[in-house]
Amino acid sequence: MKYLRASWARFRGMFAGRRADQDLSDELESHIQLHADDYVRAGLSPEEARRRAILALGGVESTKEAYRDRRGVPRLESFVRDLRYGGRTLRRSPAFLLAAIAILGLGIGVNSAIFTVVNAVVLRPLPFADADRIVRLWHTPPQSTFPGMRTFSLSPANFRDWEAQSQSFEAMAIYRGGRPSLTGHGEPIAVQSIRASASFMPIFGLQPVVGRGFTAAEDDESAPQTVLISEAFWRTRFGADSSIVGRTILLDLAPYTVIGVVPAPSFLEEVQVWLPLRWGPKDRSERANHNYRAVAKLKSGVAVATAQAELDAISRRLELEYPADNKDWGALVLPLHEDLVGDARLSLLVLLGAVALVLLIACANLANLMLVRTHSRAREIAVCGALGASRGRIIQQLLAEGLLLGVGGGLAGFAAATWGVRWLLTIFGTALPRSQDVAIDSRVLAFTTATALVTGLLAAFVPAWQLSGRDANTVLKLGTSRGNSAGGDGHARQALVVSEVALALMLLIGAALLMRSLSSLRAVNPGFDAQNILTASIGLPRAKYPTAEQQVPFFNRVQERVSALPGVVGAAWIDTIPVQNSGSTQYVVPQGAPPMQDSERPTVAVRMSSPGYFKVARIPIVAGRDFNAGDVEGKPGAIILSSRTAERFWPGENPLGKHVTLKMMSDEPREVVGIVGEVKMGSLDAGIAESETAIYAPLAQFSFGGSQIMIRTSVAPESLTGAMIAAVHSIDPEQPVLDIATMDHVIDESLGQRPTAMKLLAGFAGLALLLASVGIYSVLAYTVRQRVREIGIRMALGAPTGSVLRMVVVEGLKPTLVGVGVGLILAAALVRVLAALLFGVSQHDPGTFAGVPVLVIAVGLLATWIPAWRATRVDPIDTLRAE
Amino acid sequence: MTQFDRNAVWQGTLSLMVLRTLLTMGEQHGYGIARRIEQTSGGLLSINYGTLYPALLKLEQEGLIASAWGVSENNRKAKFYKLTRAGVKQIERDTKQWETTAAIMARFLSPAED
Repeated sequence: MKYLRASWARFRGMFAGRRADQDLSDELESHIQLHADDYVRAGLSPEEARRRAILALGGVESTKEAYRDRRGVPRLESFVRDLRYGGRTLRRSPAFLLAAIAILGLGIGVNSAIFTVVNAVVLRPLPFADADRIVRLWHTPPQSTFPGMRTFSLSPANFRDWEAQSQSFEAMAIYRGGRPSLTGHGEPIAVQSIRASASFMPIFGLQPVVGRGFTAAEDDESAPQTVLISEAFWRTRFGADSSIVGRTILLDLAPYTVIGVVPAPSFLEEVQVWLPLRWGPKDRSERANHNYRAVAKLKSGVAVATAQAELDAISRRLELEYPADNKDWGALVLPLHEDLVGDARLSLLVLLGAVALVLLIACANLANLMLVRTHSRAREIAVCGALGASRGRIIQQLLAEGLLLGVGGGLAGFAAATWGVRWLLTIFGTALPRSQDVAIDSRVLAFTTATALVTGLLAAFVPAWQLSGRDANTVLKLGTSRGNSAGGDGHARQALVVSEVALALMLLIGAALLMRSLSSLRAVNPGFDAQNILTASIGLPRAKYPTAEQQVPFFNRVQERVSALPGVVGAAWIDTIPVQNSGSTQYVVPQGAPPMQDSERPTVAVRMSSPGYFKVARIPIVAGRDFNAGDVEGKPGAIILSSRTAERFWPGENPLGKHVTLKMMSDEPREVVGIVGEVKMGSLDAGIAESETAIYAPLAQFSFGGSQIMIRTSVAPESLTGAMIAAVHSIDPEQPVLDIATMDHVIDESLGQRPTAMKLLAGFAGLALLLASVGIYSVLAYTVRQRVREIGIRMALGAPTGSVLRMVVVEGLKPTLVGVGVGLILAAALVRVLAALLFGVSQHDPGTFAGVPVLVIAVGLLATWIPAWRATRVDPIDTLRAE
Repeated sequence: MTQFDRNAVWQGTLSLMVLRTLLTMGEQHGYGIARRIEQTSGGLLSINYGTLYPALLKLEQEGLIASAWGVSENNRKAKFYKLTRAGVKQIERDTKQWETTAAIMARFLSPAED
């Protein structure tokens, strides 16, 4: 307390100023008078008395000095003086100031922007109470049929058994998404819905803002049709009207009573309405159909591993109990945060590493600028040293300047980052998990401040150390002759160039590897022609189109209208377009298969397509025929197999005319009428698993009301969006059209955040190369200026321009070459980090490891050659006279 | 006469001496405090008076003493210091600590008994 009070007093004392000084002078004067009075009484003359009094005091000025030190905080005061002095010096060279702040601002800006994203997505916990206890539950599918697939949706019966038999969880909830159309409130729109058990909202600690949430009774089909509205949707669509509770809304033309308004959990922000589970006995006993997702909350103190072990045991029991459906189906407990962030984590951390390298290069650049600048102040500094300033004081003076630059750069960087974060969110789009949580918080501020200060100090430290260590005598003796650049800071400059080049090279190699991965990904043949395709989804409401009888004519008419649009080459329906990593996977019974458990039967991707699909998608028909207008309900079932499916079922035999039963949908054996090429159903970077080999059935024989249209165009596909929607609305003006996208876009989306992360990394690497080449250039330009006299003499003595040029360039290129060597070694060690992000290119791809150094050396050569060439253009007489 | 390292004593105890002096004498100016300390020490301490002022400032910053301008007995303008309540308490604490320290040191420095 005492110390706190004293510290505060001293801090205030720093600003005490003249009045306090006057007060002290008065007090000391009064002291001297009082003392002198005593001496006078003892018989001394007034003059002598005063002299002795001052002597006894120990000198007025030194007393004042000691007193002032105690009054304020001397170290802080001298530092503040240094800052003021530094500020004045910097203001005198605005060009340097501007360059320094621009370089630092750029470096700090990209760091702070990327850190903002990393902080929100990777570091910050999910915005729920006890977020660390919330987990996602998955099935793990049999690896024989789903090789490499780690997670799979849940089946209701298995979920119910997990819930009933486990002890690790406080609550479990099951849910699935839907896209019903909302009518009766202005324009009909398709809304994002989730059908969830009553336990869902409580897991996230979310309370209804109006009305009530679901109750356990609503998990059963006997409950009336009710609906909850998400808060955001309630505000935008229903004007935040509380009287909505109790009213009825139409979803897919069926009436639902609104019972409340709830805040959607941030990772399901897009969900607009919530429906109760309303399971019947048939739903509850469904074990083979895996089409639900699940979340759960661990009991307090229960580790994920414990819960995992428990579900493992339960899964094994279920396998024994229901071998037909459950053989090799396991369970996976994943913390929700990990599940949501997934591989974005690695991409983001790699980006953060990349921008850190950019910042280091920026820092080296600034250090170099400061070195050049302080070199011209060498005399000033040497004089300070000769007059008794300690090395520490001189360093402090120079560091103060660095700190000021850091603060300036930090402010510029922060401004750039606030803009940069918005830009990052736009380019990442939906590929970035948790993007709704991205915001600048106190941690970002702290990060930016720390980065700015450390960078500023680091940049100032090199020149400070260099210059302050110099012997004052040497510097002063050098006098005005600037012909000799003192060895010390020459080495420092070269070291800076070496590190800049090495860092830039590392980044470039990383970026080049990722760019090559991206182009190999893009070059992967998906089995169809993705160019010039527009896609969209249609979900027909049951109330209006209850069966295939109403649905199929709708699909046919849309296909006709859209195909007739100008610019359209052809259009066809497919229930799930490829490379989406979604769609139906079913076990099937090929003709001649021995009797076995259903779970051991071969699984394939089952797709419903309309006639013309293979032509539109340009999937080759290898044998047989496409579906035609005759393959409709009531006619014999027709199917088309992909060639690998046929090979799996009947190796070496002619598959045409053989039969397959799609047992999950019907018991009728269906005749193989055609064989087509293989198509990637999953992501481009994976091979085609056996479960992804396909069987196509006619949409006209298996319509479930939802399908996607694929339109091949002869013009830019997105330009047909309006005409396509109009064509649909000409048939049913109330039918929403969803997910309108070009196939190229769909493919990019399927690659997640990778393309964006790769492009960003390439951008940062380009930035690094630019900064490094500026660094090389400025160092060389400076060195050449230092040697202008020597060059002048050489040329005056008759040295040919070419040989002088060669000398300077060779000398100047040395640090670049060393940097390339160092960078190559570091890069070879560091690429391991990237391994998981690479595709179709080896970590130590020789092309990249040879090409990037050539590029860097070429840039280095250019940056060296320009100043060298300029030096040889100077008239030797001028340079000699200048000294 | 005993050798006496003035500095060592000075550093740690000047504050306590000032406080004690103010306790005995009441309000006093810097010069008066200095003279009083010199007298009390029986001439063993002769102060470079200037060192007193930073010490007074420190005590004032710590809130143990307060100061105000006044007039001395021989009609000179002078800055007078007086103890605050915190200062009085500080004397008690410091005295106790000093006595303990002195007692411990005394045991070490007295001739060994066995």
